[in-house]
Amino acid sequence: MVPALTLAKNTAANPTARLGFVYVPNGIIMERWTPISEGAGFAFSPIMQALEPFSDRLLVLSGLAQVNGRALGDGAGDHARAGATWLTGVHPKKTEGANIQAGISADQIAARELGKTTQLGSLEIGLESPTLAGDCDSGYSCAYTNTISWRSPTTPNPMEVDPRAVFERLFGDGDSTDPASRLASLNEQRSILDYVAADVNRLKGELAASDRSKLTEYLEAIRDIERRIQKAEEQNATMQLPVMERPSSIPEEFDDHARLMMDLIVIAYQTDMTRVVSCMIAREGSNRSYRSIGVADGHHSVTHHQNDPEKIEKTAKINHLHTQTFAYLLEKMRSIPDGDGTLLDHSMILYGSSISDGNAHTHDNLPLVLAGGGCGQIKGNRHIRFAKETPMNNLLLTMLSKAGLHPLSKLGDSNGFLEDISEV
Amino acid sequence: MRRVLAAAFVVALGVVGGFAQSPQSITSSSKSKSAFAPRSVVNKYCLACHSESLKTAGVVLEGLDFSNVASNAELLERVLRKVRTGEMPPAGMPRPDPALEKTFTNWVMSALGRNAAAHPNPGRATIRRLNRAEYSNAVRDLLALDIHPGDLLPVDDSGYGFDNVGSVLSVSPTLLERYLSVSRLISRLAIGDPSTKAEEEDFVPAEARRVGGARKQRNEPEGDDLPFDSSGGLAFSYYFALDAEYTLRVKLGGGQVGNDPRPRYEIRVPVKAGLRTVGVTYLRESAKAELEAPRLINPLTPPAPIPSLPAEMDVRLDGVRLKRFEVPHTGNLPPQVTDVLVAGPYNPTGRGNTASRARVFICRPSSAQYEESCARKILARLSRRAFRRAVTNADIQPLLTFYHAGRREGDFDHGIEKALRAILVSPDFLFRIERDPAGAMPGTVYRVSDMELASRLSFFLWSSIPDERLLTLAEGRRLHLHEVLNQQVRRMLDDRRSQAFVSNFAGQWLYLRNLALAKPDPDVFPEFDEALRQSFLKETNLFFESVLREDRSVLDLLGTNYTYLNQRLAEHYGIPNIYGPQFRRVAFTDPNRGGLLGQGSILTVTSYPNRTSVVQRGKWILEALLGTPPPPPPPDIPPLKSKNAEGKLLTIRGQMEQHRSNTVCASCHARMDPLGFALENYDGVGKWRASEAGTAIDPSGQLPDGTQFVGPAGLRQALLNGHRDEYLETVTSRLLTYALGRGLEYYDRPVVRAIVRKAARDNYRLSSLITGIVSSTPFQMRSTPENVSHQEIAATSHVSTQLRHRNSSSAARRDGARAHASQKHGG
Repeated sequence: MVPALTLAKNTAANPTARLGFVYVPNGIIMERWTPISEGAGFAFSPIMQALEPFSDRLLVLSGLAQVNGRALGDGAGDHARAGATWLTGVHPKKTEGANIQAGISADQIAARELGKTTQLGSLEIGLESPTLAGDCDSGYSCAYTNTISWRSPTTPNPMEVDPRAVFERLFGDGDSTDPASRLASLNEQRSILDYVAADVNRLKGELAASDRSKLTEYLEAIRDIERRIQKAEEQNATMQLPVMERPSSIPEEFDDHARLMMDLIVIAYQTDMTRVVSCMIAREGSNRSYRSIGVADGHHSVTHHQNDPEKIEKTAKINHLHTQTFAYLLEKMRSIPDGDGTLLDHSMILYGSSISDGNAHTHDNLPLVLAGGGCGQIKGNRHIRFAKETPMNNLLLTMLSKAGLHPLSKLGDSNGFLEDISEV
Repeated sequence: MRRVLAAAFVVALGVVGGFAQSPQSITSSSKSKSAFAPRSVVNKYCLACHSESLKTAGVVLEGLDFSNVASNAELLERVLRKVRTGEMPPAGMPRPDPALEKTFTNWVMSALGRNAAAHPNPGRATIRRLNRAEYSNAVRDLLALDIHPGDLLPVDDSGYGFDNVGSVLSVSPTLLERYLSVSRLISRLAIGDPSTKAEEEDFVPAEARRVGGARKQRNEPEGDDLPFDSSGGLAFSYYFALDAEYTLRVKLGGGQVGNDPRPRYEIRVPVKAGLRTVGVTYLRESAKAELEAPRLINPLTPPAPIPSLPAEMDVRLDGVRLKRFEVPHTGNLPPQVTDVLVAGPYNPTGRGNTASRARVFICRPSSAQYEESCARKILARLSRRAFRRAVTNADIQPLLTFYHAGRREGDFDHGIEKALRAILVSPDFLFRIERDPAGAMPGTVYRVSDMELASRLSFFLWSSIPDERLLTLAEGRRLHLHEVLNQQVRRMLDDRRSQAFVSNFAGQWLYLRNLALAKPDPDVFPEFDEALRQSFLKETNLFFESVLREDRSVLDLLGTNYTYLNQRLAEHYGIPNIYGPQFRRVAFTDPNRGGLLGQGSILTVTSYPNRTSVVQRGKWILEALLGTPPPPPPPDIPPLKSKNAEGKLLTIRGQMEQHRSNTVCASCHARMDPLGFALENYDGVGKWRASEAGTAIDPSGQLPDGTQFVGPAGLRQALLNGHRDEYLETVTSRLLTYALGRGLEYYDRPVVRAIVRKAARDNYRLSSLITGIVSSTPFQMRSTPENVSHQEIAATSHVSTQLRHRNSSSAARRDGARAHASQKHGG
C-alpha cells in the first residue's frame, strides 16, 4: 500500500513542527532498556536496538517521573492512573463512571494551537480495541485506560483502532476524493451542523446546568468540524489528496495493523491534515498476547513477572516488538522529504510509558525516547539522565514550547523546562 | 407551579410504599423495635475501633443516633454492608452470635427501608447519548433498516460495568464526524439513492480471518440461514442498495485445483433492493471424499493427486439457489470458501420496494402541489418517533428546509433523504433528554412524564426507541398506570426486541463481551477456534434468553439441568448424540454441567490464554454473582513459590495455599481461591478434565465461613444455599444500574432490597425483578439537581420563596416542595 501522493505545501524556510506521542502500556524491563552510558554516543540497549539507525535524531531521557500516577491515598489502580497521567501530569479522580476527571493532555494543548492551520486538530490512534466489559482497573472508569488524550479535564478522546475510520477522518467518506465532490459534501455537512447547533442551543436553554455539559461537548465538537470544513475549503484548491486504497477492516495480526496505522499517521503529517498525533500501541493494562513473537501469555500477566526469568524474557520480547513498531514509524518519516529535510527532521515524537517497572507499578524513572529533529531545535544522539523525580511534564512543556506554542509557564505538575534537550 | 408537585409526591409514596412496607416487614419491624436496641450491639462490638477518639477508617459509631435514620442513612448502609458480608467485626475480634447479628441487620434494613419510603430519593441520571447498540436499534426501529450502523461509530467507554452509563458517554469531534458520515449512509440506504456507485465488498468467514491461527477443516457452515444438508461455506446479510444487477463471486482457498487458470465462481444476477441473506455452501453429500487414498507403490515418487469427484457448491439468495457450481478438488474435503465478494449495483432499475421505503413513505404526493404537505406528514411522523416526543412546527420547519434543498437537487424522495439525514444528527435523536418541571426547586422529587417513562422502558428492555404503542399510551398519559405498565413490560419482554436486553445486559453483567477478545493459546487449546467462540456465546445467550422467555427464576441461571448445544459444543463438553450445527435444548444428567458456571463462555473469559486462573474465576464469582469484589492486590506481591520448604515441587493449589499463609494475602485469597478451585475440572476453554499434567484435580474447597464443597455442583449448591441473598441483590443491583444508566448510591440500596423482597413471592422470576425495577422510585422519578447556583435559580425561577430553601437539608427541601403542591405534573 504505497500511496502515490503530492506533497502538501510546506516552505523550506519555515518548516512546521509535528508532534507525536506514542504510548506503550505496562512499563518496560528497565534493565534492558536504559543505556548504561550517558551523554553523546551512548550504547543502545537491547530493547532499543531497533532505534539505533535513528541515533542522530533521537534522545533517550531517563529519570523523569509522573508522580501523579502514584496512589496518593487512592489505593490500587496504577494502570488507570498511568494512562491518565502520561500527557496530563494530573492525578485522575477515582471513579467508576460518575464525573470522570483528569487534565487536558499535552497533545490537546498543542492541537488547539497547531490545529489552527490544519483540517484536523489532532488524530488519536489505537492499536487495541477498548475493553468491552468488566472493570478496567480497580474502580477506575475504563476511560482512563482506553486513552491518553484528554480534550478537556472531563472529556477523553477515543482512540480510533479501525484504519478505515482513520482514513475516512482524513480523506472523507465520499464516493470520490475528487475536490469538487468533496466540497459539495462539505457544504452539505455545514448546513447540517448549522441546524444541529441551533438545536443544541435551544436545548441548552431548556435544561438544568448539570445537564448542559454534555451538550456543550457536542457544541464544541460542532465548532471543531465547522472550522475543519472552512480549512478544507480554503485548502482544497492547493491541496491534492493522496491516492490511497481505503483500508477495509482491522487486520488480525498486530504487525499488519500497526504498520497500516503508522502509514496513516505518516500520511496525515505528510499531507498536513494534522500536526498532532497521539497513539496507544495497546491500551494501558493491556493483556493481549503476541503469538507472532512467541508470547502466548497476556502482556499484563507477564509484566508481573515476580522475577521469573521466563516472564521477564517474554516481557522484553514484547517491549522489543513495540520498539520495532516505533522504529517503523521513524523510518517512514525519515523517508518522506519535507521542505529542506525530512518529516523526521521536522517533528518531535515522544515514545514511552507512564510506568517504568510493570512488576511494581512504579511511576518514576520512566522509559522515554524523544525522536525527531524538532526543526533543528533538538540535538540528538544523547542519553540524558535528569535528577530523580523531575516531572515528565517539564519535558511536555518544553516540547510544546519548541513546537512554537505561545510560551506556557506551567503544565500540570511541571516546575520548569528541560533546556538540555536542545544543546549540551 | 407548586401545585404541580404535590400529586407527584402522593404518587411517589404509592410507588415506594407498594413494596418497601409489605405487610410482613411492618409486623417484623414493629415487633423487633420494642424488644431490640441496635445501639447495644454497636456499643459492644464496634466501639473498640470506631469510637470518637480512634475514628478507625474515618468511621465513628459512638453516639450514633438510631432514632434519626434519615440523617445517618449513608453510614448505616455502610455498617449494614460490612456486617452482612462478614467483613466487620474483623477476624479475631469478638462478634455477635448469628441470631443477634441477624436481628441487628434486620433492624437496620427495616429502618432504612422505612426511611426510603418516607423520603424517596430517586437520584438523577445525567443526559445520556445513545450508545452504539442503541443507535443501531433505533435506526432499525425507526427505518426498518437492520444494518447495525452503530458498529461504524467509535467504541463507547463504560462505567459501573455498563456502556449505557450517561456520565462516561462523551462526545468528541471524531464521534460527530462519524455521526455525519453514518447518517448519510443510513438515509441513502433507507430511501434508495439512484446515484449510488458500484462498490465491491468482501465477506470473509470468521475462521479465515485468523491468519496464522489454527485453521482446521471442521467444515461447518457459518450462519443459521444455511440449509440442513450443507457443509462448509458461510451466510451473511447484505443490504442491496437498489433494484439492480449485482455480482456474487466466491473465492476458494486450500490445495491445488486441477490445472490453472482456476475457474471463476461468479454470477451476475438482478436483485431487488433490501436486506437479503447471501449464502454459499457445499452440499453435505458431495463434500465427502469419494475415493480412498491410493497405496504407495513406489515410495520414492509421491503419487500424483487423484481427483475426487467434484463437490457441488451452491450460491443462494434468501435461501433460494441461484446457481450450483461444480468444484473440482483433490483430497478429502473441497477447498474452503475464503471470500465472498458482492459487487454492485450495476444497471439500476429503481429504488425498489424496500421495507424502509414502506416505513418512510406513508404518503405519496399525487402532484407537485401536494408535495409539501406530504413531506411535512412524513417528517412529522419520523421526527416524533426519532425524538421520542410530540413534535411541533418548530421541529418540522428546519427539516423542511433540508427537504427543499434536496428537492431542488433531485426528486421528492431525494428531499426526504436529506431531511432524514438531519434528523439522525439532531441532538433530540442522539441524546436521551429529560426535562425538569419548569421552576421546580432544587432537590424536588417528581415523577417523570409518561413520554420520558416510555423511553426509559424501551431503552431498558429493548435498547431502542419506544414503539408506536408505547408512544400512544404515553400521549394519552396512561402508561404510568400500574396495570398498563405491567402489561407493557410483559409485552416488551415477549417481543423479539428484548434480545437486546440479553446481549447488552447479560453480555456486560457476565463479561461475555470479553469473549470476543479472548485469545486462547492454540498450542495449549488446539480445539479452540472461531466456531467454538461463536458457539460459546450463542449457548449463553440462548440460555439467558430461555430464562427471560420462559419467565424462570434468576436462581435458574446458577442451577438448572439444561443448556443449548450444537454438535460442536456437545463434542467439546463430551455430551454424545448431538448432531449438526443447529442449537437445541439439551437436558443434563451430569450435575456438574448446567447453569452459567458450567458454560464455556464464562470459563474462557475467566482464564488466561494458556491456563485456567483460580483467582480470576473466584474474583468473577465474587464480583459478578455475589457483589463483593475483593479489593485490588497490593503493589508488592510476594512471588508464588514453586517449591516448598523441603524443595518439593508444588501444584498450583499448593502454591496458592502457601500464598495464603501470608495473612495479608489470605484476607482476599481465602475467599477467592476456593471458589476458583471448585471449577478446576474445567480447563481454560471450559472442557472437562479429571487431571492436569498427570495430577488428579482436587476440586474441593472451604469458604472462610466453614462451608465446604466439592466441584462445580457442590459450589453451585453452596452459592444457592449460603449466598442466595447476596446473589439476588447483586443481580438486582446490576439490573438497576443498567436500567438507570448511573452508578447506584446508598439511597438506592433500600430500593434494591425491596425489589428482591417483593420478588420472593414470585420465586425471583426475572420478570418480577424487572417489574420491580420498573415500578421503583428511581425508575419512575427524578429529582432536580441539588447544587444550583444562586444566579441560576434567580434566572430560571418564578417563585420568589425558593431562595429561602437553598440552605436547608435536601430531605426537608423535598418534603417542603411536596407540601405545597396539589396538581398532577403531566406532560
